[in-house]
Amino acid sequence: MTMSDPRLGVRVFTREEIQRRVEEVAHEIDRDYRGERPVLIVILRGAVYFAVDLTRALTIPFDLDFMALSPFRLGLRRAEIEKDVDVDLKGRHVLILEDIVDTGLTLNFLVRNLERRLPQSVRVCSFLNCPVRRIAEVEVHYFCFEIPDIYVVGYGLDFRGDFRNLQEVYALYDPSGRSTQVLKQMGKGR
Amino acid sequence: MGNFSVITVSREVESLGDEVALRLSRVLGYELINREQWMALLEGHSPALSPEPPEEEGERERWMAEVGRLLEELAEKRAFVLLGRGGQRLLARCAKAFHLLVVAPVPVRLRRIMERYRQDEVTASRILAEQDRQREKFLLRFFGVDWRNPLHYHFVLNTAFYDVEESCQLVLEAMKRTRPPSLGQQESFFTREGFLEKPVVFSHPSEEEFARILDFYGIRWLYEPRTFPLEWDSEGNVVEAFAPDFYLPDFDLFIELTTQKQKLTWRKNRKVRKLKELYPEVKIKVVYARDYEHILRKFDLEDDHE
Repeated sequence: MTMSDPRLGVRVFTREEIQRRVEEVAHEIDRDYRGERPVLIVILRGAVYFAVDLTRALTIPFDLDFMALSPFRLGLRRAEIEKDVDVDLKGRHVLILEDIVDTGLTLNFLVRNLERRLPQSVRVCSFLNCPVRRIAEVEVHYFCFEIPDIYVVGYGLDFRGDFRNLQEVYALYDPSGRSTQVLKQMGKGR
Repeated sequence: MGNFSVITVSREVESLGDEVALRLSRVLGYELINREQWMALLEGHSPALSPEPPEEEGERERWMAEVGRLLEELAEKRAFVLLGRGGQRLLARCAKAFHLLVVAPVPVRLRRIMERYRQDEVTASRILAEQDRQREKFLLRFFGVDWRNPLHYHFVLNTAFYDVEESCQLVLEAMKRTRPPSLGQQESFFTREGFLEKPVVFSHPSEEEFARILDFYGIRWLYEPRTFPLEWDSEGNVVEAFAPDFYLPDFDLFIELTTQKQKLTWRKNRKVRKLKELYPEVKIKVVYARDYEHILRKFDLEDDHE
């Protein structure tokens, strides 16, 4: 599996673009949480890569924790928290770190779950935001890039477990050519 | 009256429901709880409750439980007629409550609006459509029910055929003859949630799968709860209508799911466009085949569909 993998399409974001935006978002978080010590909750597994870079760029103190939700599978009636946070969230500022928010279904579930623990606030920071695919309402307070309706991989985002470790973000190869067309309109191409 | 010390009256706009409720309260000597009394009742509660259900889901559930308890306690002490306010849902499990739905056909209600407000037919139909929508939206959004579903009521009255006095006589007769069901029986008709518990027959497997995904994430849904008329003939009969597949009350959002190829969706797109023109306040999202594939890919389900 390399960058010449035939399953990969157009490069969407370079390492430099990603690094610059992650630092800018970290700066926004630093500014908004000045004087606070938020709990940063990384949603496993995709957000790990983003979380590492983002937290390295932060200057405020924070507590880091992780959460994992059971993946959707037929036969399982309700989503379950497979890995919960260890920190008591009551009265704390919570910042959820996600790799991508698209349908909003997972995040909506998580936010509702976390709000029941009476934190002072719950905000969302996502590497990518894809509002065009949104079904469940959820507010994304910080994000690095907004993407159109295309399937992307890399920087934590996978396709059947592959491509997470790519340092750049690529569109998955789309034989219809639609993704390439949409990205061209964004001024993106390999 | 019989075993019922409470009557909840749900009514279509200009169906004479208000008049029937007032008349019933006078005939029976029951207190009438309309909007003003409702506000006084909830504000007088300790702690005070908001007259409308809160937007936030957790708060709304607490509000509904608290208001339901308040009304059930009131039903133990006093007899009353509750006008609107989702009473049929709040007291769905109260054996002392008789649930009445008052309806009338659109032309009859239109005529009543035209006479009452001295409006032309176009203006009257706009007023009627707007008020019907508001009422429907309120109950769908906050109580998650299709309020016109006759199974939520003991008795459905069509006032096209009866005046207020005759309507009251019919309701009183129905109350006399209705046996309050035991709790077990009642639950099968008036379920706690009002939806999801009745079997749903989906017209396409993808809809069933989508419903499972929504269930998985605890997102409440209704399947095809509302049909939007899109076109009428010269006599006012609906000749074209559109029923979106899902309604998500928590987001006040209709979802239309289509697995057709994009180029074959022009007919559906046209209907959605028309719906947006005629009902601009309605939020609808079309999930196209491409979007749906994304969802399936995200949930690693696509192999089942290839």
